[in-house]
Amino acid sequence: MTDQKTQFYFEIKDLSVGFRTFEGIKPVLNIEGLGINRGETYGLVGESGAGKTVLALTILGLLPKPAGMILNGSILFDGVDLLKQSEKQMAEIYRGKRLAMIFQDPMSTLNPVFTVWQQIERVITRQEGLKGKACLKRSLELLDMVKLPDTMNLIDKYPHELSGGQRQRIIIAIALSCGAEFLIADEPTRNLDVTIQAGILKLIDELQRDFKMSVLFIGNNVSLVNIFCRNAGILYRGKLVEEGLSNCVVQNPLHPYTQTLISAIPRSKSEKLKFSKTIIKPEAENGCPYFSRCTIGKENCSTHVPMLREFRTESSAESLNDIQNPVQKAACFYAGGTI
Amino acid sequence: MTKFILRRVLLGIIVLLGVAFITFFVARVVPSNPAAKWAGPRANQEQIAKATIELGLDKPLLVQFGKYLTDLIQGNLGHSLRTRRPITQELLESLPATVELVLLSTIAAVFIGIPLGVISAKRKDKMIDHFSRLFSIGAVSLPTFWIGLILQLFFFRILDIFPMGGQLSTEIKILMDIPKITGFLMFDCLITGNFTIFFDALWHIVLPGITIALYPIGLVARMTRSAMLEILNEDYITAARSYGLKEKTVLWSYALKNSIGPTSTVVALSIGYTLVNTFLTESIFTWPGIGSYISSAVIGNDYPAIMGVTIFSAFSYVLLNLAADIIIALDPRVRT
Amino acid sequence: MTQNSNLLRAIQPAVRELKVTFYLLNRNLLQRISMVIILLLILIAIFAPVIAPYPGHAISDTNPKDKLLPPSRQYLFGTDELGRDLFSRILYGTRISLRTALLAVGLALLIGAPLGAIAGGLGGIADEIIMRLTDIFLSFPPLLLAIAISSFLGPSLENAILAIAISWWPWYTRIIRGQAVSIRERQFVRAARAIGTPLPKIIFSHILPNTLAPVIVQASMDIGGVILTIASLSFLGLGAQPPIPEWGLLISSSRTYFLNAWWYSTFPGIAIFITVMVFNLIGDGIREVLDPRTRKF
Repeated sequence: MTDQKTQFYFEIKDLSVGFRTFEGIKPVLNIEGLGINRGETYGLVGESGAGKTVLALTILGLLPKPAGMILNGSILFDGVDLLKQSEKQMAEIYRGKRLAMIFQDPMSTLNPVFTVWQQIERVITRQEGLKGKACLKRSLELLDMVKLPDTMNLIDKYPHELSGGQRQRIIIAIALSCGAEFLIADEPTRNLDVTIQAGILKLIDELQRDFKMSVLFIGNNVSLVNIFCRNAGILYRGKLVEEGLSNCVVQNPLHPYTQTLISAIPRSKSEKLKFSKTIIKPEAENGCPYFSRCTIGKENCSTHVPMLREFRTESSAESLNDIQNPVQKAACFYAGGTI
Repeated sequence: MTKFILRRVLLGIIVLLGVAFITFFVARVVPSNPAAKWAGPRANQEQIAKATIELGLDKPLLVQFGKYLTDLIQGNLGHSLRTRRPITQELLESLPATVELVLLSTIAAVFIGIPLGVISAKRKDKMIDHFSRLFSIGAVSLPTFWIGLILQLFFFRILDIFPMGGQLSTEIKILMDIPKITGFLMFDCLITGNFTIFFDALWHIVLPGITIALYPIGLVARMTRSAMLEILNEDYITAARSYGLKEKTVLWSYALKNSIGPTSTVVALSIGYTLVNTFLTESIFTWPGIGSYISSAVIGNDYPAIMGVTIFSAFSYVLLNLAADIIIALDPRVRT
Repeated sequence: MTQNSNLLRAIQPAVRELKVTFYLLNRNLLQRISMVIILLLILIAIFAPVIAPYPGHAISDTNPKDKLLPPSRQYLFGTDELGRDLFSRILYGTRISLRTALLAVGLALLIGAPLGAIAGGLGGIADEIIMRLTDIFLSFPPLLLAIAISSFLGPSLENAILAIAISWWPWYTRIIRGQAVSIRERQFVRAARAIGTPLPKIIFSHILPNTLAPVIVQASMDIGGVILTIASLSFLGLGAQPPIPEWGLLISSSRTYFLNAWWYSTFPGIAIFITVMVFNLIGDGIREVLDPRTRKF
């Protein structure tokens, strides 16, 4: 079992990240373990403020300094601990070349005072050393790749002249310009219209297949992750509370938080939405982060932090018969109970 | 963009009219007996009466203002009480020396102030940031005229490295032919290849240059720092870093170009401060510019000359700000 | 009674804002030092006659036998060309600078604040006219308008105060106007309008008090700049006139002697520098504290 674990292409181990505030260091992220295989998609779901973007920035070594601090842990990528890389190594070897990221707000991700061309050119020149005509040719190819029409015209425009969908496609083109093996997509469709969302998701999906990229897809929508990703993880207050094949997680949620999340998805018109009663309990300083909102938590939940445990789920085995023994993990002492 | 610039120019003209009106008000309406001021302190009844007619003070205010405006448009600022010469001509003669100083300190503000602000923002709350903030706050808190005196005390009286004042040494002024093509002394020396005089001039501009440049350097560094701090928090900066761009590119090209608005505004503002600071320091360094001109006008109660300098400086400042706004209009976000 | 409690309620947000500001400022060492120095300056200004070793030297007394003496135990900062003790004169100068600066800023507020409230509260054509007026006043290079005005009014400290106020008020008008525009849309102002409160009353008893917090902060940080402006005017001969021991004037009169009497120009300059710097430091801190983007709790 331990042997198998080291084989992950991308793996986070015991990561803990904190922010320095005037009250001291406040932990924002605490992930015991998260692994992604080569060519696999992993969807990370959590409400806003759960630490999703912090995780993405930590992986790229772009945590805002000096406020953000890595307290512990390692992020292994292709056998190398990214957290031990120098800023220079990160910039020269990893960011842009092997790791790419798509940000959540296309409106603010492109630099407003440079044309599309000026922004693509810099990245291509920096990463591939292409100049002049070759660079332009490659840029147009990239814009074609993300299925943008009229690229010759588009390339001389400023970001404010483009629509949100166009911008996000350009951002994807820039991010993937150097054939990154690992893509972090941080809620790439959050600020887009629904119709445009579908196009962008389809594009990312196709590119993932074409380039056989590993993708860490961050979102706040469980059903979206279920369609798009093989594996899913649920993040609550910086802690991974449940993880498994996305199908299993959606069909058979184990952690009470996941159950609440999934019960909040409307399935059909006739079904009445179940909203769990909001109960107000004091925060458990040393206990489960979900304690204050949990309906099944008992006394020991407020004093002990539950670790991720493995569960074998038979119910979903038949629907996924191509996978042997699907493993689902949850961080709850009473996992599987109903809320 | 043309529309924006046109609108801005129109607004500039309104502001110029307003400036003209305020100066008119200060010079002709506020004093209890403007003709007496205009004729000079030792004027007799006859001269005062003559000034009254010359200024049109016996006519209604609106007519007076009309005459004032026509004079302004014709570039007629009246005659100096001390020299009896046209003020416009005297201003044009002393302009180059002041422009040299202002230009020098603006260059210093841009090439020292902006990098200082950028580095300070990049290394926020580090040693260099504290140092640069303290320096820039100190620079804008120093009385310029005092710095001039202290520099003279130190570098002339005690160390005797730099001359006390003037644009050139007396020997050079007497013995050599001073080139006069554009009126800008250092520039003229350069194009005529007269390096002896050039270096002498350079030697003389060091102390007044430092005195004048400190304030704009501090001002520009402060403003650049705060603009950059805001920009460095933007998503597109994080994104640029995630593409693996060099930090140098991110900072000096990606981020800095976004600060063009606030920085060009502050550079224009700092030129305004510099101009006024020359009023305070040129007389200390016996620098033959507009500053010395206005100081002696103040001492000699030469009201037409004071007004002439005021109008001239205000007008140039308005035009300068207009130029800064047009530079800002080059920002694609404004362009529509 | 009700008038009073209304007023209290009206300025409550301002008071709370000032308290928070003070708390945040107090955390930074440099700012703490600055605040202590400002306090010290105020004490010096108040007790100048008690502290000064030669209070008579401040204005009229002369002492020609001790002229231009370097600093010694008897004359801490040396003496001037009339043998007056510079230390005493500089202490008195604190009083003059602080008082004139306060008066100038106060006068500018008195002109600028109501205009800003009217512009923001009324909107429309009044707003347009007032704001264009501020544009025009602000398009003079700093200090220049004050130079022109005080030279035409005749050089004196009082006229310098007037001149500074006239060239300074637009800043306050702009700040107040910006605040007033947003407050005009708030519920309590709408409610007041709905029950038919006359507009002037809305502007001066509802809008104006609520805009004062940021402008008071701005005004307090302007004191440094105003002190520098007064010193500059006096240096040019347009502000304080001899024998008033104003700092800028001291430096101006030192010009004839300073090459052989370094203390004469050095000490008044240091006094100006320290005073302006501490006000600027506090101002910078206040700006950082009030700006939500840089505010750190």
